[in-house]
Amino acid sequence: MKGLKPLFFGLFVTFAFSWLGLALVPNFQIGHLDPQSDEDGTDVYPLPQSGMAERGRKVYTGNGCFYCHSQQVRPDTDSSDIDRKWGERRSAPRDYIFNRPVLLGKMRMGPDLANLGKRAPAEDQAAPSAAASPGAPAPAASPAAAKPAAAAPVAPAGPAPATAPNPDGSPPPYSAAWHHQHLYAPRSLNLDSNMPAYRFLYEERRISGQRSADALTLKGEDAPTTGWEVVPTYEAKCLVAYLMSLEQSHPLKEVKSAAPLPVPGKAPTK
Amino acid sequence: MDAAEVSLTAPATSADVPTSEVEQVERALIDASTRLPVLMFYTSAIAWLLIGTLLAGFVSFKLHAPDLLGNISYLTWGRVRPAHMNIMVYGWASMAGMGTAIWLMARLSRTVLRQPLLLVAGGAFWNLGVLLGVGGIMAGDSSGYQWLEFPPYAAIVLFVAYSLIMSWAVLMFRFRRGEQIYITQWYLIGAFLWFPWLYSAAQLMLFAVPVQGVMQAAVNAWFVNNLLFLWFGAIALGTAYYMIPKVIGRPVHSYQLATIGFWTYALFSSWTGMQRLIDGPFPAWMITASIAATILTIIPVATVGLNHHMTMVGNFQLMRYSPTLRFTVFGAMSYTVFSGVGVLISLRSMARYLHFTQVNVAYSHLGLYAFYSMIMFGSMYYIVPRLVGREWRYGSLIKLHFWTAVYGIGLMTVMLVAGGITQGSEINDPTMAFSESIQSVMPYMRGRSLAGMLMTVAHFVFAFHFGLMLFGMGRTASVPTFLNPMEADETEVQL
Repeated sequence: MKGLKPLFFGLFVTFAFSWLGLALVPNFQIGHLDPQSDEDGTDVYPLPQSGMAERGRKVYTGNGCFYCHSQQVRPDTDSSDIDRKWGERRSAPRDYIFNRPVLLGKMRMGPDLANLGKRAPAEDQAAPSAAASPGAPAPAASPAAAKPAAAAPVAPAGPAPATAPNPDGSPPPYSAAWHHQHLYAPRSLNLDSNMPAYRFLYEERRISGQRSADALTLKGEDAPTTGWEVVPTYEAKCLVAYLMSLEQSHPLKEVKSAAPLPVPGKAPTK
Repeated sequence: MDAAEVSLTAPATSADVPTSEVEQVERALIDASTRLPVLMFYTSAIAWLLIGTLLAGFVSFKLHAPDLLGNISYLTWGRVRPAHMNIMVYGWASMAGMGTAIWLMARLSRTVLRQPLLLVAGGAFWNLGVLLGVGGIMAGDSSGYQWLEFPPYAAIVLFVAYSLIMSWAVLMFRFRRGEQIYITQWYLIGAFLWFPWLYSAAQLMLFAVPVQGVMQAAVNAWFVNNLLFLWFGAIALGTAYYMIPKVIGRPVHSYQLATIGFWTYALFSSWTGMQRLIDGPFPAWMITASIAATILTIIPVATVGLNHHMTMVGNFQLMRYSPTLRFTVFGAMSYTVFSGVGVLISLRSMARYLHFTQVNVAYSHLGLYAFYSMIMFGSMYYIVPRLVGREWRYGSLIKLHFWTAVYGIGLMTVMLVAGGITQGSEINDPTMAFSESIQSVMPYMRGRSLAGMLMTVAHFVFAFHFGLMLFGMGRTASVPTFLNPMEADETEVQL
């Protein structure tokens, strides 16, 4: 057995060393975080997501959305993520404690989605947030970020119809209806988009009696033939619920927020 | 381990020639015993390579033509991409590597492969695992972790298959004859042990007892880089250490360099990976540690590179003739390039621009293709004739394979790096609309599709040639197939 034992030993030690250093020790450091709350135990962040949003996460994962869309805001010292209004502060480990799988993303062939839910128009937020993220301090959102596209000069939020919200009757950016139309026909909202269409998440069916309330309003070549309508499947609704639940705007004690923000811990949730 | 234990000579180089008849018969017996499993692994690997290549083309085209076949859920971009990656990683690269490793192990342990049918069963199970996994991904069941997208049910099948395969390789090593362990065996034993440890550690921490939140991303990044280095990299370097000395017929230049190279490789490359999470929600020390480790990989790169170079010195003209040598040396050189690019893109000043861009894709392809796959092609050109008892039919087809592969991967790297730099600097310029960065990367994506077409040609040519060999349509000749006609005085060299 000449030389064999030291070889095995060396192989094991090098492997164990790297596992210890890069998986185990960090796990002690950031692997057991609790949600934060203020002194009287209210204003808890983050909270687990609703069933519908959790199911939407599966749709998001299964269709590989995370290969093009990251969900993390980098610090403004190193990147322009915050200048792009993708978030008000950098992401921190605590933002993700209920995420499984965690979908940080490695590529940006599409814009970052860490705070996608926050960009929804205010009136629309009430509906999905009941299902999506009850802990989200909706009213605390600074007006500039809540209506991203309308005011900003350079379309910071991505492919939205940046300057004019509804010139052609398309739904307000980042509302549920907008998400559905964007998933069904991305290029009907942004000519430059190279996002694939997810038509298989929608159902084309004959209108029986009245048009369904959740049917998509489509125009041009995307529109179904008369007498037919396009309605989202349950999967599509879950996916949109998930997208609208994405939000990291709540202040965290361990992270300095770059933007002028409501005094930490005093976000008027109630 | 004491450096003196590494055998100085590649076993049975032509320096030992004339070998006794006994040894020649022995070698023929060993080759015969590995014939069935190794050919089975190679055939599966090449079949997966073709499927993976077609999917890759689809992925590449859809980036600039997003509506292509978009209404079929199975073929949506976000499912085909992981299907392509996992087919290449587990179908092509792993199976080719295991085939080569089994053959090398038998040769170097100078022992006949016992019970080859069990290895064939292992290979069949492995194929089943990959098939299940890819089916799962295409049905929308992906787990969401890079290179671990296979749903758990497929991962279990893979693991069972792997245990079968690995125990045979290790058993062969147990029954080895001769005192000395050649450097190739170190790398192969390393790969064969590291893979199950890695795979089970990752499965455990991501699926069985999942870690919390961002730790999943850290474990995933750790797994990906270690799979790249400790599994694929180790197999490729071990193979290069065998093939280069063997073909040119002269021992490895320095056993001390080989030892230093091996242990520094194991130590430093296993600590890389976290640099891929730069600026993410992690403690900064994790990322810094991996950047430091990445920089330190210059040591194994330099020692291994120097060793191969010194072995080759004076024999570079043989690359004109020997297919094995040409592919292997190209792969070994790409290892240096791959590592150099790895160091450059890990530096914080660079990473801040290149993170989230196509440069990462270039890096993976440099590692898995220019470095690993090219060495695997080289080893196949060497091993297959010894298994089927025929020589490669057409030197011209080998040349075509080589050049389309080299131009393909070269063009792809240039396109992805240039595109990634453009994309990155525009993402980091907040005065530019985000969609601009996508629009400016599109020309490069089209160029990448072109590069992919070249590689598709390469793979189909190779598969055709391999098929000829498999069906006994190779040349019956006593001299190997050369890339170019050989001058008379050099024909003795065993290629």
